[in-house]
Amino acid sequence: MAEIVSKQLKIGMEIHVELATRSKMFSRSGGAAYPSQYEAKPNTLCDPVVLALPGALPVLNLSAIEMSMQVGLALGCRISEFTKWDRKNYFYPDLPKGYQISQYDQPLCVGGTIDIPANEGGTRRIGITRAHLEEDTGKTGHELPGGHPYEGSLVDYNRAGTPLLEIVTEPDFDCAEDCVTFGRELRNICRFLGVTEGIMQKGHMRFEPNVNLEFTLDDGRQVATPIVEIKNLNSFKAVLNAIQHESVRQIEAWKEDGREMGPGMKITRGWDDQKNVTVLQREKEDAHDYRYLPDPDLLPVVIDDAWTSRIRETLPELPMSRRTRYQEELGLSAKDAAALTDERDLCFFFESCAQRAAEVVSNIDAAEAAVQVAKWLLNAGVRVAREREVEVQELGISADQLSGVIKLRSENALGSTAADQLFELLCGNDESAEALAESNGLLQVSDSGQLDEWIDAAVEAQPQAAEDFAGGKDAAMGRIMGHVMKSSGGQADAKMVRERLIERLRN
Amino acid sequence: MTTLPGVIEIAESVKGGKVTANQALADCLQRIDSGDADTNAFLRVEPDVARQQAQAVDDAIAAGKDPGPLAGVPIAIKDNIVMAGRQTSCGSRILEGYTSPYESTATERLLAAGAVLVGTVRCDEFAMGSSTEHCAFGHVGNPWATDRVPGGSSGGSAAAVAQGLVPAALGSDTGGSIRQPAALCGVTGLKPSYGRVSRWGLVAFGSSLDCIGPITRNVADTAAIMNVIAGPDRRDSTSVDTDPPDYLAGLEEDKPLVIGIPRQHRHEGNHPATEAAMEEARGIMESRGATFVDVDLEMTDHGIATYYVVATAEASSNLARFDGIRYGRRATIEPGESLEDLYARSRGEGFGPEVRRRIMLGTYVLSAGYYDAYYKKALQARRVIHDEFTKVFEQCDVLLGPTTAEPAFGIGEIADPLTMYLCDRYTVGANIAGIPAISIPGGFADVEGTKLPVGLQLQAPFLGESTLLRIAHQLQKATGHHLCSPGH
Repeated sequence: MAEIVSKQLKIGMEIHVELATRSKMFSRSGGAAYPSQYEAKPNTLCDPVVLALPGALPVLNLSAIEMSMQVGLALGCRISEFTKWDRKNYFYPDLPKGYQISQYDQPLCVGGTIDIPANEGGTRRIGITRAHLEEDTGKTGHELPGGHPYEGSLVDYNRAGTPLLEIVTEPDFDCAEDCVTFGRELRNICRFLGVTEGIMQKGHMRFEPNVNLEFTLDDGRQVATPIVEIKNLNSFKAVLNAIQHESVRQIEAWKEDGREMGPGMKITRGWDDQKNVTVLQREKEDAHDYRYLPDPDLLPVVIDDAWTSRIRETLPELPMSRRTRYQEELGLSAKDAAALTDERDLCFFFESCAQRAAEVVSNIDAAEAAVQVAKWLLNAGVRVAREREVEVQELGISADQLSGVIKLRSENALGSTAADQLFELLCGNDESAEALAESNGLLQVSDSGQLDEWIDAAVEAQPQAAEDFAGGKDAAMGRIMGHVMKSSGGQADAKMVRERLIERLRN
Repeated sequence: MTTLPGVIEIAESVKGGKVTANQALADCLQRIDSGDADTNAFLRVEPDVARQQAQAVDDAIAAGKDPGPLAGVPIAIKDNIVMAGRQTSCGSRILEGYTSPYESTATERLLAAGAVLVGTVRCDEFAMGSSTEHCAFGHVGNPWATDRVPGGSSGGSAAAVAQGLVPAALGSDTGGSIRQPAALCGVTGLKPSYGRVSRWGLVAFGSSLDCIGPITRNVADTAAIMNVIAGPDRRDSTSVDTDPPDYLAGLEEDKPLVIGIPRQHRHEGNHPATEAAMEEARGIMESRGATFVDVDLEMTDHGIATYYVVATAEASSNLARFDGIRYGRRATIEPGESLEDLYARSRGEGFGPEVRRRIMLGTYVLSAGYYDAYYKKALQARRVIHDEFTKVFEQCDVLLGPTTAEPAFGIGEIADPLTMYLCDRYTVGANIAGIPAISIPGGFADVEGTKLPVGLQLQAPFLGESTLLRIAHQLQKATGHHLCSPGH
């Protein structure tokens, strides 16, 4: 058998995003991805439409369309002027109508691109083929509430009819890592847009990579393995591991059966999280014929330029753009810029703090204020948040308070250790930075009379050190400084102490 | 027993205090008691619910409130329109015993107008049929000759009204299911424009064709009911969003009209009585200043084919929800049998042969490899038929023709599905084009010594109900055919 001399992974992604609309896509029942409805009891987000009772009819929820337009525009897609609804027919207990309302041949969003940082360095441009809206299904399970096993099958229709945006990319990925980066970026975009909380454990985003390999053999022949669609991955780890597993398995499979890509060769596999392997679900020969037909119960949606423009105007600045701006305009490091744009809430908190600091602290500009805020949030903030097991933006320190800390530091009223202490004290405390620093004795003393008193005492107590320092030994300063700090309870302004010591002992 | 008063008469009497809604209901229930055995039109008579509704009307009157335009009018509802807390089975074993938790828009509006919904009348299973023989819970006899069919699928609705058990009934019309039984039973049946009456709560057969409409004994009663049930509904995306006119107010208007007679509807296979009915109508309308023109509906012969592709395709999808999982009949399966076995058995046992045939037809025409040849082509044909009607209505205001070629046939007489499908030859066009059409009594045919009604069909452009009702009203006044009732 011929040997493989080079190989190339080829991956296209399908991503399902559950939209956090208040009501479902085609009924007034509560949406399962809307935060206040996450914990709804089974089969309570239901009505005649959701349960497909005889005679019930769907009515379109426009906010599902508008959220999808937001995502489409953020991904650089064109919004179709005319889009319609189609029925995808198949039988399954979690599909109440026996068909899913979807968009077959005229999707809402078409043809976008997104640039992501590539694993091999630089950026990689990913083409977005289309994004279409459809309704989610219910959930089938074998457990009663509380986790008690049940011998039959149980269906919960709460999720049924929740709007689902399916985003399909071009096969522009060549490694699993980039797929994960893309997934994270997309999740981040969706969170910035506010169209989903993007909680993976709740299934707000589900990934279906289409994977195959192209390789060259030593006899010069080019071979492509059949495309495998891996269904329903709901963690980034699963995306990474499943693709990596396929990249190995497909070569083994080809060596065994020699099957190559061709018409009717699409295979569906699932992911076994325990065993870390993909498992065959369906070969083409028993693939469904979905018998798509235009849904006669719904009117097509006609979207004019004015509507698209109105939605475009609602788009917030997206994370990629903020990341670039933080580096180029504010002078943040790439690492800090990335950390601050990774989570919408942290990012918004950072920006409000930076804005406040620039207003409050008179001697720094906007960029410097942002740098200072970033430093605080990503160092002390991250540390305290980790200790308290909360997010940085949930520490309970306000933009005003943080700006107060930065102001005190810039006025030299606070030492660095004291500032760290003050930051921690402010988390969960409503007092102003100034008041809390005062009441906790954290303010730095820079009154020369008081400083001289402490210096006198230190020189008296450490005569040898004073003599050494006067004689040119810089290291001797430490002992004198330590004494000053001890007697001042850490409040002495170290910089001033140093200046006064040099003046006194070396002149 | 005297003839049951009509919709408007009962409402006037109840509002005027001549009878109470309870008395009107008692009269109606007594007629059903003594007469229904002849035709078997009623599937469920629900005196208790009806009495509560009648009492509400009487209470409103006693409290000095307006009881509504249909105060105390007993109305029968076709077994495919849901009512809250009441059973709807669509004439099918698969929905046997199913109780709806919600109310259809049409019945909700009837109730709000003071109507009393006495019970449910039989229909062909899921409205698929032209004879009401395909009802899983027994067939219905034609009041004019009980060994003959009442037509279908709204056969129970038409029979109950023709027999004088109720002054009005709601039916549904997907390819002729209101008009054909109205013609065969000698009553008035209107298929409104698509979307004029909300479909919320009408169990779907062919969603792009289905319409709810009234069956009554005269045109004014139809107008009175349309005044209540027509109009926009946010629960049905396909409902027409403009307010309807006052259909009653327009009945007496007198404008000279141009009436078209499609050459393709004057078929040699038509019973001579239908030809006579048309001639009679022509004479009446000409004397009132109408002009007659011959027009062409070349697509008439393609109507049935187009209809049976579109309707069955939609039906195959619409009926997928009847899977026995959430409600309705669920078959038992043995350990080791699969989910597919459960579906197949529940649906195999639950659906009758005509429904199964249409689901298979619809599944076939939507299948990969056949979609373009059947479904897509049918949609193209539908567009052509629609455009043909539009063009014809540039030449005339309304179309006149027979509703059916023949009067009622015998129960069990037509065994071949295709022959049965051709009963809708003249009626499917209005559904395909979405336009309104009405069938009114056109006189009688003598079939082997039996007097059987024939119907005249009038069709108008989209939302042209007022014109239809006006002409139909004038014709009725002149001929008086609607005053004849079985046994008189």
